[in-house]
Amino acid sequence: MITINNLNFGYSKHNLLFKDMSMQLSAGHIYGLLGKNGAGKSSLLKNIAGLVYAQSGSLKVMGFDPAKREPELLADICFIPEEFYLPSIKIDAYIKANAPFYKKFDYAYLNVLLEEFNIPISNKLVNMSYGQKKKFIIAFGLATQAKLVIMDEPTNGLDIPSKAQFRKVMASALTDDRCIVISTHQVRDLDNLIDTVIMLDESTISLKASIEEITQKLTFKKMKELDETVIYAEPALSGYNVVVPNFHQEDSKMDIELLFNAVIAEKKKLKPIFN
Amino acid sequence: MNNSFNFNRFWLLVKRQWLEFGKIYLISLLVITGAIIAFYFYALPEPDLHTTNLSSVYQHNNDGYVNLNFRLPLFLTLGFMFISIIASGYFSLLGQKSKAIIELMTPASTLEKWLCGVFYTSILSVFSFLLIFYLTDMLFVNYLQKIVGQISYTITSDMRSAPETVVLSVKPFFIDFFDRQEMQSLVLFPFVITSVFLLGSAYFSRFHYIKTAVVVMLFCTALIYTMIKVAGWLTFNKVQDSANFGFRSHSGEMLGYVLIGTALITLFFWTVTFFRVKEKEV
Repeated sequence: MITINNLNFGYSKHNLLFKDMSMQLSAGHIYGLLGKNGAGKSSLLKNIAGLVYAQSGSLKVMGFDPAKREPELLADICFIPEEFYLPSIKIDAYIKANAPFYKKFDYAYLNVLLEEFNIPISNKLVNMSYGQKKKFIIAFGLATQAKLVIMDEPTNGLDIPSKAQFRKVMASALTDDRCIVISTHQVRDLDNLIDTVIMLDESTISLKASIEEITQKLTFKKMKELDETVIYAEPALSGYNVVVPNFHQEDSKMDIELLFNAVIAEKKKLKPIFN
Repeated sequence: MNNSFNFNRFWLLVKRQWLEFGKIYLISLLVITGAIIAFYFYALPEPDLHTTNLSSVYQHNNDGYVNLNFRLPLFLTLGFMFISIIASGYFSLLGQKSKAIIELMTPASTLEKWLCGVFYTSILSVFSFLLIFYLTDMLFVNYLQKIVGQISYTITSDMRSAPETVVLSVKPFFIDFFDRQEMQSLVLFPFVITSVFLLGSAYFSRFHYIKTAVVVMLFCTALIYTMIKVAGWLTFNKVQDSANFGFRSHSGEMLGYVLIGTALITLFFWTVTFFRVKEKEV
């Protein structure tokens, strides 16, 4: 669905954010795009959506060049930005004005989602809280039936019950022909939701692996004492939370936050394991 | 699906933009209508009740038309303000990240988005202002006509074989406007104004109106200064003052040049705006 080849991008020519970045994203997956502040998560999403232009390299989304902003592609992309704007009109007026642009728009599904998020359709957008607005644009975006769903920090501003609702809705929104990319620095919010982790660090992709692959190659567990096999450890109550190579095919649950910190701190140790 | 232009999609875009742009437009139109009516009330000629000559009760020209000289500056000033403010606001949302994302991600082509901008700023705003001014003027012209239409006077002069009775009347603004030959050449000028301010709205991220006005002012000053200097340099001590070297400017020819010139300038600014919107990044 998305093919990136040798992409070079930066806000100034001398200070590139991505250098020769290449990767492929396929339909039927929920990708979690992780990285520190300023790592370029939002910029990568904007490149994919055609909101910024790369210096060089190629980027294809469903066979289209997103920089050309062709309506056929735009109708198949649902982009939920971190900062968004909604006009001062009622929800039904917004739907009436915007939904016809999307040929596959599912009105019934939108109603189901709005009900799930507890948002009355008679509400005026401007009178809603930030979290409600966010839930509304997520619901609207998913109802467009776009094949590519891009979300930049979607859980920012959502309360705890809303985050659970969000995870439930997103998990049910995944279909075989849909690709979902979620960027966040609140890695815990993506627990049990994403199936592939993409981690950005120092102008490149430091890790791109499925949860299955990660848990096959690494074990996440608690240890009382550290030994030489430990790749990364964090002090915890009565010992350490550690990441170790999975030599004995142990089953463990991936701790996304621990993995994130391990990739940032021990890039050199992890690289050979995933190559 | 045609990725460049589709009328259905364009119409959807026009309807969608109305939700947001329509409010600003209607409020501006209401304000401008109020301003026109207020000026007419303020500037409408009052009868001079102290005069003994009946024909002098209202100031009028030789043809018996009551002088309403305030209308032209009012029309030009308010017209400029209205169309330039409307045009300056249209693409201003591209300067705000959150609004620009929604706008650029709307499934319509750049051509459709640009055409929608041209429609709202150059077609709708210009013609609605003309309509509002026309209707207000007609209202006051009819009102005044009922008063002055009963006043007549007789003209006697050597030019006339017999004394002529003239009834005072009021000329509608647009008939008066197009009677002036120099004004005919300004027919396309509103489109130059809207195209410049539309470009300014897409080009600048903040303070679109002020920045566009300053740039236009500086450019015009530089252009006029350069033209005077170059013309002086080319002709100084080479041309006899007041000489006419057989060159005769026909008014129709001149009008044609001005119309073509303003049309080309408008097209140029519209084209630059299109590419500016096309290349806009967030």
